[in-house]
Amino acid sequence: MIVIDPAHGGTDDGAQGPNGTFEKDIVLRYARQLRAEFERLGYRVVMTRNDDSNPSYEDRAATANAYRDAIFISIHVSSTGKIGTARAYSYQFSAPSGPDSAAAPKSLVVWEEAQRPYLDASHRLADILQIELAQRFPGSPTASTAFGIRELRSVAAPAIAVELSSVAVPDGSLLASMGAPLAGTIAHSVQLSRPGYADPRSDPRNPAAATPRPAGAN
Amino acid sequence: MPRNLQITLTILAVAVIIGLLSLRSLQNRMTRLAQTQTTEEQARRELLKPQITTASDVVSQTKIFWADGPDQIAPSQVALPLSADPVKRARQVIDALILQTPSPDQRTLPADATLLGFYILPDGTAVADFSDALSTGTPSGIISEMQAIDSIARTLENNVSGLRRLKILIHGQEADTLAGHVDLTGFFELHSAGTGLVTPSSQALPTTPSPIPSSSNSATAPPSPLR
Repeated sequence: MIVIDPAHGGTDDGAQGPNGTFEKDIVLRYARQLRAEFERLGYRVVMTRNDDSNPSYEDRAATANAYRDAIFISIHVSSTGKIGTARAYSYQFSAPSGPDSAAAPKSLVVWEEAQRPYLDASHRLADILQIELAQRFPGSPTASTAFGIRELRSVAAPAIAVELSSVAVPDGSLLASMGAPLAGTIAHSVQLSRPGYADPRSDPRNPAAATPRPAGAN
Repeated sequence: MPRNLQITLTILAVAVIIGLLSLRSLQNRMTRLAQTQTTEEQARRELLKPQITTASDVVSQTKIFWADGPDQIAPSQVALPLSADPVKRARQVIDALILQTPSPDQRTLPADATLLGFYILPDGTAVADFSDALSTGTPSGIISEMQAIDSIARTLENNVSGLRRLKILIHGQEADTLAGHVDLTGFFELHSAGTGLVTPSSQALPTTPSPIPSSSNSATAPPSPLR
């Protein structure tokens, strides 16, 4: 299952470019192109939003966490950065879990750290994608970046964010023309990354075998 | 057309014109009021701002990390009077980071952002409390938010000794994100490998001996989120 997450939406416009260009609209178009590409390749696809709504971070993560064997891809367009380039990100926890997760029973996964068991798979996918992006969009970095991207933290699946630069481009047609190559590149990278990936939830001894739920969920 | 209808329509038209004029006037007044409030807020901050420069400060070469191109940061050498007290020293370098930006293209933090408070906990955790402008004025986007965080963290770790990690608050509160992307609920580990936003050329620059503690081992270490 591929979970595509067009960032922002609703009252959250995201980055705003000249001539009233909003990130939320561009990423929705990209997401639809990406969905079509994945469906063409035979994948099942779900989107965290398919209109001008703005699901919370938790709702977006919950969409992915409802499926086993999912891959979460969040699409962004920046307001800065080298125009015409693209970057792939995975989440980064750089220290052992805090006291909350340490105190949690082994069979439970702390919602706020649901991404932790999937960091390697996420980073591997981001790395593969970044190499492909660098070839497709010249000037892009050749290595992915691991950083605290909020949207990825509670996703219990390999999860990456992709950000294109930028809404500041004077000619909007450049951004529009990046959608198709972006979709092809992401889909190809997912295909390349799949053989080496085993979902930690398929191992019942792994704490991540339990599907996490946000605090207060029934 | 009946006379009554004519009168009604005339009254309605007059009412609409008066309403439009009033709305425009109201809008102008609100704009003026907002500008005045901003000015008063700035003036209040200036008045309440603790004195961070003292006579005992020593002018030293500092490394302040500003933007170097659209997606990287690089250190610049700036001569600043610096306090021996780490808290005052931290405030001085963050103030310089905001107020002494060499050019608009090099800016990483909003010009109207203010460091409201800075604390260092015994375990080396630095807590930097910024005004709302840090959140509202930082351009939306992963790369711009990373640049902002990196510039703060690297400026601190290169100029203030003993810091282990950084917590960023917005107006005294823990914020979910900086401007919609970068997670602020955790800590940013200092002196660690991370984003790689520092330009390769600046990494290769020879570092001149500096009286600033902790500058030797942290010239290229970007922060990473720590939870």
